[in-house]
Formats: sequence, C-alpha cells, structure tokens
Amino acid sequence: MRKKIIKQVVFYLCLFGLWQLIVAMKIWPEYVFPSPIQVFGTIITGFSNSTFIVAIGISLKRIAIGYGISILIGGFLGIMMSKFKTVDETLGSLVLGLQTLPSICWLPLALLWFGLNERAIIFVVIMGALFSITTATDSGIKHVSPIYIKAGRNMGARRYTLFLEVIIPAAMPSIISGLKQGWSFAWRSLMAGELLFVNLGLGYLLTVGRELNDMSQVLAVMIIIALISILVDKIVFGKIEANIKRKWGLSAKY
Amino acid sequence: MTAKLKVDNVSKDFTGRNGKLQALRDIRLDINEGEFLCIVGPSGCGKTTLLNIIAGLENVYKGRVVHNGEFINSTGPDRLVIFQELGLFPWLSVVKNVEFGLKMKKVPQPRRRETALKYLDMVNLLKFKDAHIHELSGGMKQRVALARAFAMDPEVLLMDEPFTALDAQTRDMLHDELQKIWQETGKTIIFVTHNVREAVCLGDKVIVMSSQPGMIKTEFRIDLPRPRHIEDGGVMDMVRPILKELSFEIKKSFEEEYDAKKDN
Ligand SMILES: Nc1ncnc2c1ncn2[C@@H]1O[C@H](COP(=O)(O)OP(=O)(O)OP(=O)(O)O)[C@@H](O)[C@H]1O
Ligand SMILES: [Mg+2]
Repeated sequence: MRKKIIKQVVFYLCLFGLWQLIVAMKIWPEYVFPSPIQVFGTIITGFSNSTFIVAIGISLKRIAIGYGISILIGGFLGIMMSKFKTVDETLGSLVLGLQTLPSICWLPLALLWFGLNERAIIFVVIMGALFSITTATDSGIKHVSPIYIKAGRNMGARRYTLFLEVIIPAAMPSIISGLKQGWSFAWRSLMAGELLFVNLGLGYLLTVGRELNDMSQVLAVMIIIALISILVDKIVFGKIEANIKRKWGLSAKY
Repeated sequence: MTAKLKVDNVSKDFTGRNGKLQALRDIRLDINEGEFLCIVGPSGCGKTTLLNIIAGLENVYKGRVVHNGEFINSTGPDRLVIFQELGLFPWLSVVKNVEFGLKMKKVPQPRRRETALKYLDMVNLLKFKDAHIHELSGGMKQRVALARAFAMDPEVLLMDEPFTALDAQTRDMLHDELQKIWQETGKTIIFVTHNVREAVCLGDKVIVMSSQPGMIKTEFRIDLPRPRHIEDGGVMDMVRPILKELSFEIKKSFEEEYDAKKDN
C-alpha cells in the first residue's frame, strides 16, 4: 500500500516534470500550452474568487437532483419489471433499446419540451442514469437465489417483509453496480449538456475558457472534473463495494 | 398417543419436459410429538418434495397434511426446514441470521438478541457471532443453520440431508450435538439422509422410500439406548437390513432410468 502511493507520487512528479520541460522548450506558445504551474495558479485563483466553487456547486446540485430522481424512477421501474411479466415484456424491451442511446441525444428533445432552462439539463442527467439503474434493479431481483426466498418464507417472512428483508438485500450487489454505472453516465451527460447548452456549471467554464482562449482555465476545469469523478467513483462507491465484498465474500457478483 | 403430525394419502405430480411424473404416491405418515423420524431413499424418490409439502412451501398436491389438528397449506413458524443448501443470508452477520426468524415473529430487540446468543452458545459459536457467513467453515455454517432453526422454537424440525457435505469427524460431532439438543428441547424431527448409518444413529424410526413413484416401502423401529454413536455395535447391526432394502431400491431406480433411456 505504502509502496503503491510512493510509486504514484513519483509517477505524477515525473509527469509534471515532463510537462514543464516541454513547455520550457517553447514548441508552442504559452496560451496554447500552459505550464503546470500556470494551471495550478488558475485553480488557486478560481477557488479564491469563488468562480470554481460556484460552478462546482451548480454542477453538483444538478447531478444530485437528476441522479436522485433517476434512482427513484429507475428503482421503481426495475421492481415493476421484475414483478410483472407484462411490464417486463413491454417496457423491458423499450428500456433495452433506449439504453444504447447516448443520453446527450435527449438534449434537443429536452430543449423543445422544457426550453433553455434547468429542467432540460436535469432531464438529460436523469436519462443518463435511468436505464442502468432500471436494468440492474430488475436483473438483481430476478436473479436472487430461490433458496434465500424459500428460507425467508420458511422463517415467516411475508410479502413486504420478504421483499424488504430478503429480496432487496440479496439483490444489493447488482443494484450497487447499476448505481455506480448510472452515476458515471449521469456525470458524463451533465458535462456534455453543460458544454452544449451553456449555462453555468463546470461544463460552462470549459466553454468560457475556450472562448477566451484561456487554455489554462480549460485544463484547470478538466482536472477538477476528473477529480470529482475519481472522488465519487473510488471513494464513495469504492467504500460501498468494499463493504459488500466484506460481507458477501467472493460470492458477491459484480 | 395421537399423532401430532399426520401425512394422509399425499400424492404429488410434476409436469416436466417428459410429461407427467408422479413424485409421491399415497404417502401416509403418523409422527408423534418428540419423535425423531429418519427418511432414506434413492435420489429423486421425493424426499425433498415431501419435506416441502409438510413445511407448506409446496401447496399443490393431493391428500392432506394435518398438524395439531389443523390442515397445512402455508408456511408457519411451527414447522421449520433446514435446507440442504442452508440458505443462510450472506448480507447478515451470524447473530443477525439467527435473529431473523424472531424479527419476523416481531420479538422485540433486547429479547431477540438474547435468544439468538443463547442458541449460538448451544452450538458453540458464540465467538463467531459477528462474523459474516462466508468466513465460516461448512460445519460452522451447519451449526448456524441449527441455531437459526432452534431459536425460532418450532414444534417440528424438517432437516434435508443437512450433514451430507461434511467430513466424518465434523459430522460425528454434529450428531452428538443434535441428539443433545433434541433431548433437551423435545422437538419433533424429520431428518432426510442418504446415509443409513446416520439414520440409525439418530432416528427412533427409519423409513425407506422407493422411487418412481415415491412411496413408503418399509418402516424400521430403532430401539437402541441413547446417546448413540455411529460406530456402536447396535447401530451397525440395525444398518445391515436397512441397507439391504435401500440398495435394492437404488438398484431398481437405476435400472428404471436405464430402461427409460433405452426407450427414448
Ligand atoms: N419443480 C419440479 N419440477 C419438476 N419436477 C420436479 C420438481 N421438483 C422435483 N421434481 C422431480 O420430482 C422427483 C422428486 O424430487 P425430490 O427433489 O423430492 O427428490 P429427493 O428424494 O429429494 O432426491 P435427492 O435425494 O437427490 O435430493 C424427482 O424425479 C424430480 O425430478
Ligand atoms: Mg432432496
């Protein structure tokens, strides 16, 4: 573990060194290819004059709302599909088809329906995560080993208790992996949406950077976007997955 | 003494790929309170099906099952199965697994934990109360399943080949433990096994079933003093006639399968 961290630190130091070296060779002008120090400076100013903080806040708020709604609707649809054959055969095929559609393709439709406002972008975020969550919930519930259900009924679990105390926990490993995939789709759709549709948020700062020819800001914002992804993916979902692995052992399916 | 559990003329058909299959035909059993009944029979003779019917997990069949004077058509906490696959919940710790049935019975928390710990102590697993299921050995899992079933204080315990996958030493130990717990609690136990020696070692009665269709062939009373061990001379003497009967049935069911294949 220690060794791994040391390796990573050395690697990134070398990377920044190389970057600085290329800048020092002055192959491209500084406004096209800024130095790491310059980018770092932009990040500091961005945070101290709070433009970055506001943008992060706005993006996080959008994803929280969109992703939250996705979880509610996706969970509900997944449960319906797993419980009712008709829903599965009809809605299920539609979900499977729509899943292949990159969610940013919903943006024109969203703009026509909702106009140029928050609701349009949240709609795109919802569409980004919805189908992953629906499918994972559905297949997680369908693949719960019958022995758990038999054991639960045997010990007196009935309809709701059986569902809440046996089926949902047994399906949890699959549901979590769906939530993780949904999160990363949602985050990508949000960035794409903000880039195209330009109204505050981190994606918007990228566009502004481009328009002002401020390469340093573009790189700074990219780094922030990547860091947020890593933070949620590795730390939040990493913790949840580790917890499930610890409980289930190797039988936890991802 | 009137029978506590009465299986009255139970027949069960399955419709599978090869048409109708009669899994059970005219099964009659009278089981008294506190009796330890063992069932042996060739694979596929309907032992699991019979336990599922008594447990109320299987509702479509002909005939009747009466427990304490009432017809059975659903699961109830008075009749518990210990499945061959156990069905312990990997998302719960050992003690929470044992508490599960009590929670379903709405036993409030401090008492629930107390009861669970008492039964974990009985199977010598108190030290592992906070472990997760995958961290336990096969024998330990068996003991958790025993504790989980006994904690619910069922009147009838239905055990489906619970010790098949264990090594001989662990199994002997669990035989002692099970006999001890049974004598302490006075439960009625129906125990399915492939192992005739195990059946004689544990049972007051051993029933041999035949297959295709599943029927009760012979019933043996085992009047040996307890506690018994699997190597006891008396056990060995009882094993021979039963084993002879069972081998005959197994051979017959093999030949039937062979003939069925030839016909296809
Ligand atoms: N759900 C089912 N659908 C169709 N056939 C079934 C079903 N369950 C059991 N059977 C058939 O019923 C017969 C009895 O099965 P059962 O599982 O009760 O046998 P068993 O005596 O427990 O066998 P084993 O000792 O191998 O566990 C078998 O021939 C089996 O193929
Ligand atoms: Mg069986």
